[in-house]
Formats: sequence, structure tokens, C-alpha cells
Amino acid sequence: MEDEKDFIKALLDPKTQNVAFERLLAAFQKPLYAHIRNIVLNHDDADDVLQNTFVKVYQNLKNFKGESKLFSWMYRIATNESITFINAKAKRNGQTSEAFQQKQVENLRADDYFDGDAVQLKLQKAIVELPEKQQLVFKMKYFQEMKYEEISEILGTSVGGLKASYFHAVKKIEDFMKKD
Amino acid sequence: MNMKDFNLDNEPKIGTGFKTPEGYFDAFQQKMMENLPVEEPKVISLFERNRKWVLSAAAVLIVVLTIPTFYNSASNEDEIDVASMENYLAYQSNISQYDLINLLDNEDIQSLDVDFALEDQTIEDILTTNTNLENYLYEN
Repeated sequence: MEDEKDFIKALLDPKTQNVAFERLLAAFQKPLYAHIRNIVLNHDDADDVLQNTFVKVYQNLKNFKGESKLFSWMYRIATNESITFINAKAKRNGQTSEAFQQKQVENLRADDYFDGDAVQLKLQKAIVELPEKQQLVFKMKYFQEMKYEEISEILGTSVGGLKASYFHAVKKIEDFMKKD
Repeated sequence: MNMKDFNLDNEPKIGTGFKTPEGYFDAFQQKMMENLPVEEPKVISLFERNRKWVLSAAAVLIVVLTIPTFYNSASNEDEIDVASMENYLAYQSNISQYDLINLLDNEDIQSLDVDFALEDQTIEDILTTNTNLENYLYEN
């Protein structure tokens, strides 16, 4: 994306706002959707959260200080929205977030928009066993193939801490996968 | 796939298995653009619109209405309270201590003596601990 400052200016100017936001959507909707979908697992939920995320982005652009990159700022909003969404939905169902996510993984088998094989399903089951932070780091690193530096800017954790989280996550996942 | 020695790095990349409905992203973009929260032109009541002016007018009115009462109550007081007088003399006036001394008669000085009746010990303490003694000596 061209000079970010100019682009943000275009997003804030009422005359250019709509065109600029359309370009923002075109550039970010797919990667943000993938990020959200990896957390909430279900397509309809991901659709809701993606919409909430872009609304938040649109409403808060005027407060965007440019201290971090637009990219990581939007991913941060998407991450928070996804986690908030899961917690709220779990609460509505009277479940803990962990139990709710376990259930979401079990539902994948019957999900029209999941066509994973046995290994892919098992991998999802392995991931959902991990603590929240390790889940996030693993998904961003392994599925989305992000750099540690990028993840660090989004999650606000040091690169060293992230490497440790990823290492632990991989170990636990491999142990899980070896079991029958 | 042999799961016994499963090693994530050695395996072919395992995908997420997630799909999206056909044409989802085009539809999403369109839906999003149509539903962007509009900065609604708010319906503003006459009071809201002129809130600042209405409030200013009210404030001015209150001040104007209070002036006569305030003025009357102020002019009724002939006596100036002691604290104000002291403050005025201490900080505002350019009356020197010599002017003040000239205004005092013997009676005043005697009453001052009584007011400031100090023990010899106290005076001694003050003199021995005060390092600016010269100033006082000159002034006397």
C-alpha cells in the first residue's frame, strides 16, 4: 500500500473517504477474515466479527495515531473483536470460553464450510487444547505465516516471548497428534 | 501419515480446511459499503442548536439581576472588616511603617505593648537565633 499517511488522510477526508475505504476493504478483507475465522472457526461468526471489525476501524480512524502500522492496528482490532465475540457467546450459552471453543471444534465436522480431512480436524482439536495466547501465536505463525515481528506488533508481546509460546504450542500439538 | 513420529516441520503444510461461500468477499465488500455508519445529520432542537447562546444569555441575566442586591448589600456596610484592612495595609498600600508610626498615639503604643508582652526569655531566644539582627538594628 502506498504511503500510509496519505492513505489515512484520504480515509479521513469526506470527499475521498468512500473510495479510500473501498480500497481498504479490498486490500484487507481476505487476510482479516482468515485471521478472524481461525479464531472463531465458524463462517457466520467470522462474517459478524469481520463486519464489526471494519465498523470499528471506520469509526476509530480519526483516532488512529499512526504509532503502529495500519496493518497491525487493524489486526489488533480484529483479534480483540474475535475474543470478545467468543467470550460473549460463551456467556450467553452459560459456558466457559474454553468449553464453548471445544464445542465449536466438534461442530466443524458438520460444518458446510469446513472440508478438512481427519488430520486437519485433529489439528484443530489439538489447537483448542492450548492456552489462548499460544493458540493465537500458533495460528498466526503456522496458518497465516506471519513474521514474529508482525505478530509482536499486533499482540504487544516481545519476539522472544512469541518464539517461546510457539515452541510450546508446537510441542503440545505434536504430542496430541501422536496420540490415537 | 504415520502419526507415531509426527513432526510439524516435516509434514506437508496442514491447511485450516476452512472455506467461504461462493462470492462471499464481493458480497461482503458491497454490504459493508452500503452499511457504513453514516455520520447522521442529527435532529437538533432549537435549544440544542443555540445552547451556547441560551446559556450565555441566562448567565448574563443572572449577573445583571444580582448586581442591585449585591450593590445594596455592599454599600450598607460602613465597617471594613479587620482582615481586609490588614491585607490592604500589608500588601496593597504604599504606606510605610513610618507613616503608620506617625498615626499612632501614646495610647495605641501602650496597648501594643500589652499585646506584645514578651517574656525576657523569649526575646533572648529570638535575638540569639535570629541571624538578620543587623536589619532590625538599623531600622531602629
